[in-house]
Amino acid sequence: MRVLVAMSGGVDSSVVAGLLKSQGHDVIGVTMKLWEGPNGEMPETGCCTAADSEDARKVAAKLDIPYYVLDYTSSFSENVIDNFIDMYSKGLTPNPCVECNRSVKFDHFIDQAKKLNCEKVATGHYAKIIDNNGSKELHKADYEEKDQSYVLHMLTSEKLELIEFPLGTISKPEVRQIAASLDLKTAFKKDSQDICFVGNNDYRNFVSSRMNFSSTGAIVDKNENELGSHNGIHEFTVGQRKGIPGGQGEPKYVTKIDVENNKVYIGTKKDLTTKKFLIEDVSFVDEVITNKISIQTRYNSSDIPCKINKIDDNVYEVELVQATLGVAPGQFGVIYQNTKLVGGGRISTKILEDVNE
Amino acid sequence: MKGLEYLYLDHAATTPMREIAFEAFKHAEEVAFANSSGGHELSRRAKNLLEESRDFIGGIFGAAPKEITFTSGGTEADNWIIKSPFLNNASISSRLVTTQIEHEAVLSSAEWIQEQGFEVKFIGVDEDGVVDVNQFVESCNKETLVASLMYANNETGVIQPISEILKKVKDVSPEILFHSDVVQAVASEKLDFHKLGIDSAAISGHKIGGPKGIGVMFLSSKYKLPNYFHGGKQELERRAGTVNVSGVAGLAAALKEQQETLSEEKILLESERKIFEDTLKEKLQIKIIGENINRLSHISNIQFKNINSETLMVALDLKGLGVSRGSACASGAQKPSHVLKAMNVHSDDINSHLRFSFGWSTKDGDGLKAANIVLSTIEGIS
Repeated sequence: MRVLVAMSGGVDSSVVAGLLKSQGHDVIGVTMKLWEGPNGEMPETGCCTAADSEDARKVAAKLDIPYYVLDYTSSFSENVIDNFIDMYSKGLTPNPCVECNRSVKFDHFIDQAKKLNCEKVATGHYAKIIDNNGSKELHKADYEEKDQSYVLHMLTSEKLELIEFPLGTISKPEVRQIAASLDLKTAFKKDSQDICFVGNNDYRNFVSSRMNFSSTGAIVDKNENELGSHNGIHEFTVGQRKGIPGGQGEPKYVTKIDVENNKVYIGTKKDLTTKKFLIEDVSFVDEVITNKISIQTRYNSSDIPCKINKIDDNVYEVELVQATLGVAPGQFGVIYQNTKLVGGGRISTKILEDVNE
Repeated sequence: MKGLEYLYLDHAATTPMREIAFEAFKHAEEVAFANSSGGHELSRRAKNLLEESRDFIGGIFGAAPKEITFTSGGTEADNWIIKSPFLNNASISSRLVTTQIEHEAVLSSAEWIQEQGFEVKFIGVDEDGVVDVNQFVESCNKETLVASLMYANNETGVIQPISEILKKVKDVSPEILFHSDVVQAVASEKLDFHKLGIDSAAISGHKIGGPKGIGVMFLSSKYKLPNYFHGGKQELERRAGTVNVSGVAGLAAALKEQQETLSEEKILLESERKIFEDTLKEKLQIKIIGENINRLSHISNIQFKNINSETLMVALDLKGLGVSRGSACASGAQKPSHVLKAMNVHSDDINSHLRFSFGWSTKDGDGLKAANIVLSTIEGIS
């Protein structure tokens, strides 16, 4: 089988290419150039740097597979960057990895794979695809510490037909071991943690350099008492503690961002707890499952048992069995039944307000 | 991995080395490896080989030996000629006139000149990629130090109206140094620099079956340029650095064979290209750049309607056909061509072009073979 492997230059995707090659597949390695400097150069910081693609090239050479750097910058910029900025401007907490997976990696990349006569694409995500009587299911990775199924929740069983996640049953230490045994230079390379296009994780600077957020506004408590001022709402996300007026007593957190009135609400931990909220643009891997389900409201957060009720097309109300902290609008609610991923959607703003009051 | 089956149609990027050049290179390393600036027997051998080669290469281009300086390649020659006139206490109102479709070696040098505060005019082209004669000439004034116009474009092969422009530019001011990057043209055109009237030229060895890392700067004896490299007194005290004598010998040998076979080679290149283009035209909706105007015999730049050329290039590579898009960047990802942009190619089409370049290693039948690979590949990706 011919497989197009997305190679970031990290150890995970290196091992994916190595494993598939050793299984006898016809493997083609591709580094997606997602992001570039003003003169078309690869970025120097973050992930997807020129040094990363150089690592990917070396791994491909070692494995003796064809390797290409392909230009996905316009797709990435239109679908991921623009969305990232847009979300911040609405006071939401974006998850660019989800957007990138949805519209770049598992859309354009799959299209390109088809054109290159590849039956499948493979990535180094930690998630498991299980065949259940001919229908593909998405499950958490066996190595739960690294499980990335959350950012893959938009994949449908039809899409999963075209995808391989070879790391679903392997632990990170094993991945490094395999890389070392294949003599791949990425075997002991440090994992990247940043949002890939924002080096040093300074997303505030990134956002403010791309948009005019200069307007200052008020920081208020839930009774509209003014407690201070801010330099732009993009500097805040719900649940944030840093950079807000302190004082005696209980620690304060951002509880809500009112974009229209340019106001940031703060309150105590208690004001941050949520029991009911809505998720929008909901998709399901296959059929809608409502029994014995739980939800993750952030990447790598714990599963909270819940109930879901359909409100409208692709809109569901989520009721948690137990109230939880830091449900942030813009992040995704991803529903599981045990290890099986059921589906997910974006956590809505307006609803939270209703629920809180 | 690819084996011997691979069909190479990227000669405009570089060519394989001719056997005779390889032999000359090897022979020079064996018998004339010594430093050509030294004072002993072995150095003399190197020096003799160097100067024989210089005489021969000068002769091919109708130039005197002293007008030939060996460089590391076309890029160095372009940099030297474009930049150095501006480095020598040039008045800030000094001007450089060039085009928007030059090779990056000229274009980036010109941008650098511009960053230093000098005036630089980048003249546009029409939709066939031919430079605007009037605009070029009108942009030249008494303050113009250098006018630089490539003989033929490396991406499209389109030949520029160099004689006409040159004559008119010299009417504006005979002092203007008229430079031409002939790197691509030399591959399929016979050139005599003095007959052509240009004052300087850049040549690269590896585009004609010579070694990489060797090139020629031709500079008419009417002009003198400040040195660009500083160090030893090599190359008539113009260019410091131990001379790459074996490279020079390889280049001379490659040029000898190339010039002897040029007229036959041209017939082959044109017929293979014609078969290639005709076969594609029959089956596909394509546009051939410069099809009905004067263009180099070895280049075919084709627009494939509604097909992404990046994907097509990869798919062709996987089928054993090597071609190229615009100019490559370090990481391998390629950006839309500045040449096509200058030609005002619509943004929907700018990523639909591929350059197929034939060359001395092209054999009878390659055109049809390539066309068939393209046709079967496009069936798969559209």
